[in-house]
Amino acid sequence: MKNRMKKGLALLLGAAMTTGLLAGCGSEGGSENSAASGSEGGNASAEAGGSASDAGGADTSEHVDLKMYLIGERTPDFDEVYGKINEILEEKLNCSISVDFLSWGEHDTKYSLLFSSQEDFDLIFTASSWCHYEQTVSLGGFYPLSEEFIQTYAPDIWEVVPEVAWDQAKIDGQIYMVPNYQNEFAQDVLAVRGDLMEKYSIDQITSWDELKAFYLACAADGMYASQGGPWYQYFQAQGLATTGGAPHGGELVLYHTQDPSDTGFYYLLDWDGFTDYCRQMKELADAGCWSPDVLNSSDERQTGLLTGRTAGMVWNLGSCTTYGKQANTENPDWNVTLIDPVADLPKKVQPYINNGVAINQNSKNKERAMMVLNEFYTNPAVQDLAMLGIEGKHWEAVGDDQYKVIDESGFGVSSNCNWGWNNAAIQRTEYIEDKTPLDDVREAMEESWNNNIKEAHVLDGFNFDSTKVSTQFAAVEAAMGNYYDPLVSGLVNDVDQSIEDLRTALESAGIRDVLAEMESQAASYIAEKQAN
Amino acid sequence: MKEKSGVKGFLKKLHKYRIYLLMLAPAVIYTLVFAYYPMTGIVMAFKKYNYSGGIWGSPWNGLENFKFFFKSGQAGLVTRNTVLYNIAFILVGTFTQVAVAVFLTEIHGKKFRKISQSMMFLPYFISWVIVGVMAFNIFSSDYGFINRIITSLGGEKVAFYTTPQAWPFILLFFNIWKGVGYGSVMYLAAIMGIDTSVYEAASIDGANVFQRIFKVTIPMIMPTMIILLLMSVGGIFKGNFDMFYNLVGSNGLLYNYTDVIDTLAMRALISSNDFGMSAAIGLFQSVLCFATVTIVNKLVGLYDRDYALF
Repeated sequence: MKNRMKKGLALLLGAAMTTGLLAGCGSEGGSENSAASGSEGGNASAEAGGSASDAGGADTSEHVDLKMYLIGERTPDFDEVYGKINEILEEKLNCSISVDFLSWGEHDTKYSLLFSSQEDFDLIFTASSWCHYEQTVSLGGFYPLSEEFIQTYAPDIWEVVPEVAWDQAKIDGQIYMVPNYQNEFAQDVLAVRGDLMEKYSIDQITSWDELKAFYLACAADGMYASQGGPWYQYFQAQGLATTGGAPHGGELVLYHTQDPSDTGFYYLLDWDGFTDYCRQMKELADAGCWSPDVLNSSDERQTGLLTGRTAGMVWNLGSCTTYGKQANTENPDWNVTLIDPVADLPKKVQPYINNGVAINQNSKNKERAMMVLNEFYTNPAVQDLAMLGIEGKHWEAVGDDQYKVIDESGFGVSSNCNWGWNNAAIQRTEYIEDKTPLDDVREAMEESWNNNIKEAHVLDGFNFDSTKVSTQFAAVEAAMGNYYDPLVSGLVNDVDQSIEDLRTALESAGIRDVLAEMESQAASYIAEKQAN
Repeated sequence: MKEKSGVKGFLKKLHKYRIYLLMLAPAVIYTLVFAYYPMTGIVMAFKKYNYSGGIWGSPWNGLENFKFFFKSGQAGLVTRNTVLYNIAFILVGTFTQVAVAVFLTEIHGKKFRKISQSMMFLPYFISWVIVGVMAFNIFSSDYGFINRIITSLGGEKVAFYTTPQAWPFILLFFNIWKGVGYGSVMYLAAIMGIDTSVYEAASIDGANVFQRIFKVTIPMIMPTMIILLLMSVGGIFKGNFDMFYNLVGSNGLLYNYTDVIDTLAMRALISSNDFGMSAAIGLFQSVLCFATVTIVNKLVGLYDRDYALF
């Protein structure tokens, strides 16, 4: 009897676990496909939405509720601030807006799902290359904004945004986003520890050689210099910049941004500088300028500096200042300062499409959405609210164009994805009461950059559309993985061999087709530009 | 009793087994809804997907979506890696799970058995993300546990993250460590199901522990082993993405030894959001898995008809 019970129990247990396993398999296939099948239902509405005509002027007699997607996390006071914004919108445009967030971690995967599942929303944050602009346009997710549409529903935006910004936003001659308007510099700097510079008797770092000397001095002292090599600094020092939409975040194909007469592309493996850089990195990595684990480390860019493991960090000016200050507060003797290893070169301004807002193709209220965006962009009251929060609670005004932070804990300054409607014409700047030496360095740096903005290059606004060569593009991305990151981090055993391997892999993946398509798109882009 | 054939016979059977059929219905419906209906999504693999067309309205793309995989130059390598890793996981996994199950049944201290079983089961609940962090803290060259020990003993550091040859073993270890507790429960259940009178008879015939294990236990749990083996063979072309991605990350230096189909596809497609190509890769894996499981099942059936799944 006991035996039979045991046997029965065992069978039951076995069966339960088998179903568990089967269910596991089943649901795996299921979720993948069901997410996809969800989109089929929305076909009809997509087509209907796309063909709706925009007849009639700015009619706001009917109340609508709009929905907007932003990137990031909802801050504690976010809803309160947007409640205030909605008061203004209700009064002026007879509508309200609700906001949903895609977090930093999940926007890569969820952004496209919003469109494939035909989610009902109106506005969404977007950005060229780092926030899905080109991909979504090529899959037909955004509503094309005609000049007439912009002029009718957002006349103030049309007035403030420079033409070059609209040109940058064009893909195949059509605008799909409202770009932000501010001079954001495309120049990474380093925050480095002043005490160490003093110790190694290095007074200044303004050139590549001085930077390299500093790296080696750190390594000789048994200190890591940074978390990886200064790759961007290297090619920027040569006057080159990444090309929008090119493989690997634009790094595989560069162009000479400092020389407007040079409109050719620099494919890394045909450019001697790449080999030279990889060799130098091998030298630095072997000397111990950074940890051999950098490729696997999930540390954030500032972690090394803040924990004292590295002598410096590489990032943009704003972030380097923020974390440099934090490091100085925690360790007053470190004396962290900012350095620009390519100080003598004119500075490139980020494309205006580095932040922006687009309208969903399926939105039922495209006109009202555009009018709301107009408010965010050009109404100082809304701009202040979205950027700084509530006056008197989060910040206080200093004069007409400056602000002072009161309490940043509930609603961080300019950190609530308000960047899509950045408008340098009306945005307040920060008033700093007790300046540290770091603030002075930053101000001096900013000033010298603003006085030294580089000449416009015709390719600055170029964005490669890879849909025609998507097969080769995906194959190239796959082939890059094995060699590229180890090479630029100097971690390969044999630089020349690895470069050859990378070259062969890219050739067979079809890099030539990608380059040919890039050349032809660039040629027609330049021709179109010069015709105007 | 002879069954009647034809429609009438079918209806009669339907009536006769109605209770059983009713009990079966939920499972059938579940499978239809969650396994067969979504399968229509396979068409995605042959379409150039866009948002306005959706699954059905997007234009056809022939076999274009499959091409990137073979063009990347890595197709052979990653397919080989995927299969070899899975074979290693299945063989070593089955061996350790059976061994653990046998040991646990042979141990008589009840408390010790319970505790050790729970301890082995625990890793199953740890997410691969956490395992990835643990691995980094064990193998990292600056602050890693192993390198700390080596340097404190005056040895030279080992840079695990630049030594690809070590990774098949590391991956195998973590896979086994994480799965052994869960897997052994199945075999424990099977062993519990063995009639104790068989063991009694064996000991009367003078069998020692080893004879008991190899002559009684193993043959008796053979059917369970084969069913589980067949089920894991069904996934032999699917890399465990969670594991490979969290342990290896984007470290290209290790890819020759650690890249599997799933991680390659992720790398190639993460920036382009190409649904068609992702579906194509999934279909490629599924078709190969289907073929493998059919063949292996056939072979098992040739060996002993009763062991085959279908």
